[in-house]
Parts: sequence; C-alpha cells; structure tokens
Amino acid sequence: MNLSRRDFTKIGSKIVIGAASGPVIIDALVKKARALEISPLRDYDWNEHFWGYVVDTTKCIGCGRCANACKLENEVPFDEPVYRTWVERYRVLKEGEAVIDSPNGSIDGFTDDIPEDEINKAFYVPKICNHCENPPCVQVCPVGATYTTNDGVVLVDYEYCIGCRYCIQACPYGARYYNNEKGTADKCTWCYHRITRGLLPACVKACPVGARKFGDLKDTESEVNKILDRERINVHKPELGTKPKVYYIGLDRVVR
Amino acid sequence: MQPHLKRAFTLLAIIIIAFIFVRSLAVPGSFGEYGWYRGDSVNELRSQDIEYAGSRTCGDVGCHNTLYSIWNQSRHKTVNCETCHGPSEKHASNIRIMPEPADDSRDFCGLCHYNRVARPDGFPQVDPETHGQNLRCAYCHNPHKPWFV
Repeated sequence: MNLSRRDFTKIGSKIVIGAASGPVIIDALVKKARALEISPLRDYDWNEHFWGYVVDTTKCIGCGRCANACKLENEVPFDEPVYRTWVERYRVLKEGEAVIDSPNGSIDGFTDDIPEDEINKAFYVPKICNHCENPPCVQVCPVGATYTTNDGVVLVDYEYCIGCRYCIQACPYGARYYNNEKGTADKCTWCYHRITRGLLPACVKACPVGARKFGDLKDTESEVNKILDRERINVHKPELGTKPKVYYIGLDRVVR
Repeated sequence: MQPHLKRAFTLLAIIIIAFIFVRSLAVPGSFGEYGWYRGDSVNELRSQDIEYAGSRTCGDVGCHNTLYSIWNQSRHKTVNCETCHGPSEKHASNIRIMPEPADDSRDFCGLCHYNRVARPDGFPQVDPETHGQNLRCAYCHNPHKPWFV
C-alpha cells in the first residue's frame, strides 16, 4: 500500500477523532435513553403518571381555604400578597361591566360591597398554575432552572434559579411570583412532594365542597378522566396554545 | 505552518481547553440527566416536608375514632379535619406537638356560610346580622355534625 504523508494524516486524524467522539456520543445516547426509562425517584416511577387537575367553578364557595392551606403547606410568605393558588370573584353588573377581585387571594374571604340588585351574575373562579404542556415560562428561563417533569409537572429549581423574573413575565396566567425569602421565582408544584408519595395536593384536601379534583390522566379510571369524559370543560386562554392541564367546569366567557 | 497561524491556533486551543475546564466546574453533575435542568432538583423538591396529614390519619390510627365516625356520617364529611383544625402532620407523628386550636369565631364559619351573592344557589348560608344573636355558631351547631332547622 502506498500512502502519501497527506493521506496518512487525513485518515489517521479521522480515526482518532472518531474513536474519541464515538464513546461520548454513545454515552450521551445511553444516558438519554436511561433518563426516559428510569425515574429519578426511587419508589416512584414518573413515567407511569401524567397528572391533571379539574376545577368545578359551579361548586366553589370562595372560602379561600385552598389558598390558606397552600401557604401553610408550602411555606409561601404568609403576609405578602403572593399566592400559588387563589380564588377570584367575578361579578357581571347589569350595565355589562365585569368586576374582578381577589382580596388577599381570598384567604380572608369575600364581603359583598356591591348591592345584589346591581349584579347580573356572580361566581368564584379558583386559579392555580396550569402546568401547561407547552409552558412559556420554561422556554424563557435563561439558566435551565425551570422544567417539566416526565409526569407533567412544571417545577422550579430553587438552587439554580438566578431570580431574573423573566418567567414571571412570560406566564400568561400570572401563576408565578417572586419569593423574597428564597430570592427566586416560585410557583405551584401541585404539591410535588405529596403527589409523588400518593397524597393529594393540599388545596384539594382543604377544599370543603370538592371543587378541586386532582388525578392521573394516564389512569383511565381516575376521577379527573371520568370528569373529562363526561363534563363540558374548558381551559384558560386556549387560543395561546399553551395546552393547560387544569380543566374548568362552568368557565364563563368573562373569565380571563 | 506560518508562525502567526501557529500562535493563533495555540491560543485557540488554550481558550477551548480553559472553556471546557471552567464549564466542567460550573455545570452541576446532574445537569442534563433528564433534560435541560439539574436532575437532582427533582428529588430535592420531592423531599419537602408534608404539613397536611389527611383526615384518615386522624381516624385510622385510633386516636380520634369517635369524632371521626360522627363526622364521617355528617353533612360536613366533605370538609376535612385540617380545613378547620389546621395542618397537623407534626401532631400526627408526635402527639406532644399540639396543633393550633380550631378557630370557632363566627367569622371563620362565615368564610363558608355568610350570605354572599357569588356563592352557588342552595349552599347553606345565613345573614350574620339577623341570625344567631351574635352567639358562637358552635353554641347551637355542632361543627362535627351540623344540622339544619
């Protein structure tokens, strides 16, 4: 075989680069495949679940126990006007205007400050992070401190978040807030520490009228799936294409 | 190779090696394990303490059996123990730690039961001005087994 020096160098360097990068690429592929297969949580397989949430606005009585329980469960600063979940009151007046309020996130309840005869219809709408399948907040994070888990929950890495608040701006539902104590963005986790241990989120537990339902969308027998099959449901701002996983029964057109 | 190119390539190599070195120090080990985030943070978030034990904990372990079975038959059975009594996981795991006593003021019951326009029709509501002569609600209504006149 007759090789010129140039050809020898060319072929030789290709072999060396190939040999060096091959294992790296294979390793990365294996790691990725394993990540999809194996759950990071020892006694909980996050590939077996895909969580969903249903809010029945026709049942909500606006007592605010959900917002209260959420703050106590998750150490949300209690005296600051920040909430992971809250209840809004919508009052559509006879003149056509809609009055929307949520004093202290509904924790102290509501008082009637508009006479009944001026109101056409009134109702409460509990709000919470929608854990979108296509979350704008995750897209904008510059450091990878917020992400969607395999079981469909949008979480914040408090160690890694730099507190730039871009995600708070990006969320079209106002579901995120800045946590002054942590110095990071913060939001509803659907009580990830509870649901991964087989418990319900604190807000669902606290609701006295069963207006909040939580369950596994992968389980065809789950309560949320039965509601989705049976009831007329909608999501907030479907036109944005964020694909929320909080489904509402009885959502009025004035709700935004 | 011309000497000025040699210098440029050497510099470039040093910069690339320095970048790889700094990156390996700055990026946490579990970053990119499951996606573009720190894999360890999932477990960190999962290890958060539970505050709400759930009503079954109150009745199942045999401590509050009687109250549990009364409540379980009543119209308040949709209202969990901790909705009024507050988070009690710490009390459930160590009975020496007592939860805050339940708020028995009229305004606390009123969070659900004062007349409000926005509440669903048919939900039991009272006008606090005319109902109950400013007595505590529990004076007439047992919150564990409410009744309706």
